[in-house]
Amino acid sequence: MEMENNGSPLTKKWGFRANPDLNMASDNTVRGVLYMLLSKLNRSDTRPVIPLGHGDPSAFPCFRTTQVAEDAMVDSIRSAKFNGYGPTVGILPARSAVAEYLSQDLPNKLSPDDVFLTLGCKQAIQTIVTVLTNPKANILLPKPGFPYYEAIAKSCNLEVRHFDLLPEKDWEVDLDSVNALADENTVAMVIINPGNPCGNVFTHQHLKKVAETAKKLGILIISDEVYAHLVFGKNPFVPMAVFASIAPIITLGSISKRWIVPGWCLGWLVINDPNGILKEHGIIDCITAYLNISSDTPTFIQGAIPDILSKTKEDFFVKIVSIVKEAANICYEGIKDIPGVICPTKPEGSMFVMVKLDLSVFEDIKDDVEFCVKLAQEESILILPGISVGLNNWLRVTFAIELSALEEGIKRLNAFCVRHSKKP
Amino acid sequence: MGKQEEWGFKENHELHAAAGFTIRNILESIIGNIDQKRSGKPMIHLGHGDPSIYPCFRTSVSVEDALVESIRSANFNCYPSGIGIDPARSALAEYLSKDLPYNITNDDVFLTAGANGIEVLLTVLARPGANILFPRPNYPIYEARARFSEIEVRHFDLLPDKGWEVDLDGVKALADKNTVGIVVINPGNPCGNVFTFDHMKKIAETARELGILVIADEVYAHLVFGEKPFVPMGVLGDMAPVLTLGSLSKRWIVPGWRFGWIAINDPTRILQQTGVVASIKSCLTISADPPTVIQGAIPSVIKNTPKSFFLNINKLLKEASDLFYEKVKEIPLVTCPHRPEGSMFAMVKLNMPAFEDVVDDTDFCMKMAKEESVVVLPGDVVGLKNWVRVSIGTEPKVLEDAIGRMKVFCLKHAKH
Repeated sequence: MEMENNGSPLTKKWGFRANPDLNMASDNTVRGVLYMLLSKLNRSDTRPVIPLGHGDPSAFPCFRTTQVAEDAMVDSIRSAKFNGYGPTVGILPARSAVAEYLSQDLPNKLSPDDVFLTLGCKQAIQTIVTVLTNPKANILLPKPGFPYYEAIAKSCNLEVRHFDLLPEKDWEVDLDSVNALADENTVAMVIINPGNPCGNVFTHQHLKKVAETAKKLGILIISDEVYAHLVFGKNPFVPMAVFASIAPIITLGSISKRWIVPGWCLGWLVINDPNGILKEHGIIDCITAYLNISSDTPTFIQGAIPDILSKTKEDFFVKIVSIVKEAANICYEGIKDIPGVICPTKPEGSMFVMVKLDLSVFEDIKDDVEFCVKLAQEESILILPGISVGLNNWLRVTFAIELSALEEGIKRLNAFCVRHSKKP
Repeated sequence: MGKQEEWGFKENHELHAAAGFTIRNILESIIGNIDQKRSGKPMIHLGHGDPSIYPCFRTSVSVEDALVESIRSANFNCYPSGIGIDPARSALAEYLSKDLPYNITNDDVFLTAGANGIEVLLTVLARPGANILFPRPNYPIYEARARFSEIEVRHFDLLPDKGWEVDLDGVKALADKNTVGIVVINPGNPCGNVFTFDHMKKIAETARELGILVIADEVYAHLVFGEKPFVPMGVLGDMAPVLTLGSLSKRWIVPGWRFGWIAINDPTRILQQTGVVASIKSCLTISADPPTVIQGAIPSVIKNTPKSFFLNINKLLKEASDLFYEKVKEIPLVTCPHRPEGSMFAMVKLNMPAFEDVVDDTDFCMKMAKEESVVVLPGDVVGLKNWVRVSIGTEPKVLEDAIGRMKVFCLKHAKH
C-alpha cells in the first residue's frame, strides 16, 4: 500500500512523508502517460507493439545515428581527456562548436559565451523556467504543447497561462489570445518550432509577428527548436533568433532529434539578445547560478561535440528527413480512410501530427483516454491522448518510426476504429 | 533606469541566494586570482576532488571499453526512462548487496545524474514546516538545494577532536517532530574521516529514536586507506530507513560522467509504505536523467573493473595521505588534526592570529593562489571558517610541490 496513512501508527512514529504533488506532476508528463498505457498492453498479444506515442525512433535500424557521431564519442572517451569535471556552463570547445553550428543559420555570429550546455533539452527547460520564476510571475505556454513545461512550471510554482494554436490556420499562434492573457507579471512565452505536438512549421512572417508581439508585451521568447531542420513541407525552418533584435530570444535545442540520439542527453540553451536586455536584467547570471547547483552533461559527450557538429555529412541529414517525410505522408494518407479520426493539416515538420477524434462515430468510446487505453489493450498500439498535450479528444500520433511498422500501425488503427464504429 | 520597466522578466532572487556560495563559483574566483607570470609556477589545483587529470589516477581501461561498447552497440541511444534501465539497476543492486546482510533488488536502485540525487531527495522530503539535519562541515550542494526546496536546515557538528564524529547530543537537541532526516557523509567530505561501525550504530539508533531517516552519502564508498574499513550505513537499515547516495565518479575516477544512484536500504519497507519511494520515482520522472549511453555501460563496468585497479587507487591515496599529514606538520600556522583515512580530502585549520596580513580563510586562499598558484578551498564554503579543505587526490610529486609552496606562503605571511 503506497498511500500515506494519516493518524496511523506509522505516520506517528516517523517524521518523513511522501510528496503527493510530485506524483501528480509526473503522471501528466508524456512519459507518465505512456507508462500508464504500457501497463494496459495485452501480454498475450504476440504481435509487436507499435510505438506511435513517443518521439524516439532510435530503436529502428533505418534511423541509426551516423557513424561520425559514434566515432566522435569513442575518440573522446579514448583520449581520457574528458573524464573530469568541466566548467558549469560547458567546455569551451563544445560551446564554440555549438555557437558556430547555430550561427550558420543566423544573420549575426553567436559567441561561445552565449551558449550554455545542458543535460538534454530537459535541463534547458528546467533552467529557464526556474530562472524566470518569481512570486506573481506568469508564463505563456502554447495549447496544445509539450507537457514537460507545465510539469516544471508547477514544480517551481510559476503560474501558467495557455494561448491557443489555431488548427484552422496551420496551428499558428493565436496572437489575440496572447495579447489578452499577458499582463505586467508575464515573463515569457514559449513557442515550439518545428511544432510538437502539431507537426507544423511557422512561416518567417508569422515568427516576425510573434517577435513584435513579445516586444510590445515586454516579454522574452523561449523558442524550443529541438526539432530544428526536421522539416519536409512547404515552409523552411527559420530560427527565432533571426528576430533577436526585436525581442530577446532564448533558444533551446539539442542533438537528440537531428542525430537521433536522445539517450546522449546533450542540449543547449542559447542567448540571442544583441541588445543585451537579458544581461541587464540579471538573467544570464541567474542561468549560470542554476547550472552551478545542477548536474551537467557528461564531459566526454561534450568532448565529442566539435566533431559531431562539424563532420556529420549532409547526406545523413537528407536521409533522415526523407524517411520522416515519407512516414508523414503514409500517416496522413492512411488516416484519411480511417473512420472517426480526422487529420486537419498535413504535417510538415517534427515527428508528430495532431489528429482529431469524431467521437460520434464510435459506439463505446467516450474520450481520447479511453480510445488510447482500448487501442493499447486491443491492438498493441501506443498513441498519446490529446488531453496530455492540452487538447481533449484529439490524439498526438508519432509517425517517425520504421515505415513497415507504421503501415502495420495504420492498418491496426483502422481495424480498431471500424470495430468500434456504430453499426448503421 | 527607465529601460528596466519595459520588460516583465527579472532574475529569480531565491535562486541567486541559494546558488551564490557554491564550491564551483568560489573556486572560479580563486583560480581567477592566479597570476602565473608573477609566481612563475604552474597551477596546482587542490580545490576539488578530481584526480582524473593525473595519469596515475586514470580510470581502468575496462571502464573505457564498457562505454565504447555501449556506444557501438547502438542499443542505448534511446530516451532514458526516469528511474534507469533494468540491467544497470540490477548490476548495481548486486554490487551493493555484496556489502549488506540482506539483498537489495533492482527495485531498490534508482539511477541519477550525479549530484541530482541530492536534488531529488530534498525535493521529495521538503514540505512546509519540515526541517532536515546536516553536518557542519558539509558538502555545500546540500545547503544550496535545501534553500531552493524551502526545507529548513539545522546543522549538527562533526567533532574535530573526535575524528570528526557526529555530535549526537547536538543531533538530539536539534531534532523535533518536524525533522525528516539526517545526512551523514561517509567516507567524509570534507573531513576525510571514516566512521567506526560502533559510531554508525549509534547514529542509526539515534535516528530511530527520533523517528527520522538517514541519508547516507557514500559517494566515496570503498575509498578508505587507514585502519577503519568502509561499512555501508545500509547494514543498519532495519534500525532506521536509509537512503544511500552513491556514484561512479570517485571509486572509478570518472567524475565527468555525472553518474550516480539512490539505493533504498530499508528491509522493513517503511519508505515504501509511507509513499516516499513512490515520490522518489515521480521526482525522477521529471528531473534530468543520466544518459542512457552511460547506463548501458554499467553492467560491464561493475563486472569487469579489476580489483587491482581499486587497490591501486587506494594505495595512491594512502601514500598521498601519509605524505600530506607528515609534511603539513612542518608548516607553521596550520594544523591538520586528523590524518585523512578516506575520501580524497583533508581539513586543515589555520591559526589566524599568527598571520600578519591574512584576515581569513578566503583571503588565505586568494593570496596563496596569486603568489604560489596553489588552489585550495576556503573552509567557509563547507561551513568551517578559517579552515581550508585540501584535495589529496593528486600525484605524489605534485602534492609535495604544493605543500612546499604552502610552507613558503605561510612563512612569508607569519607575524614576526
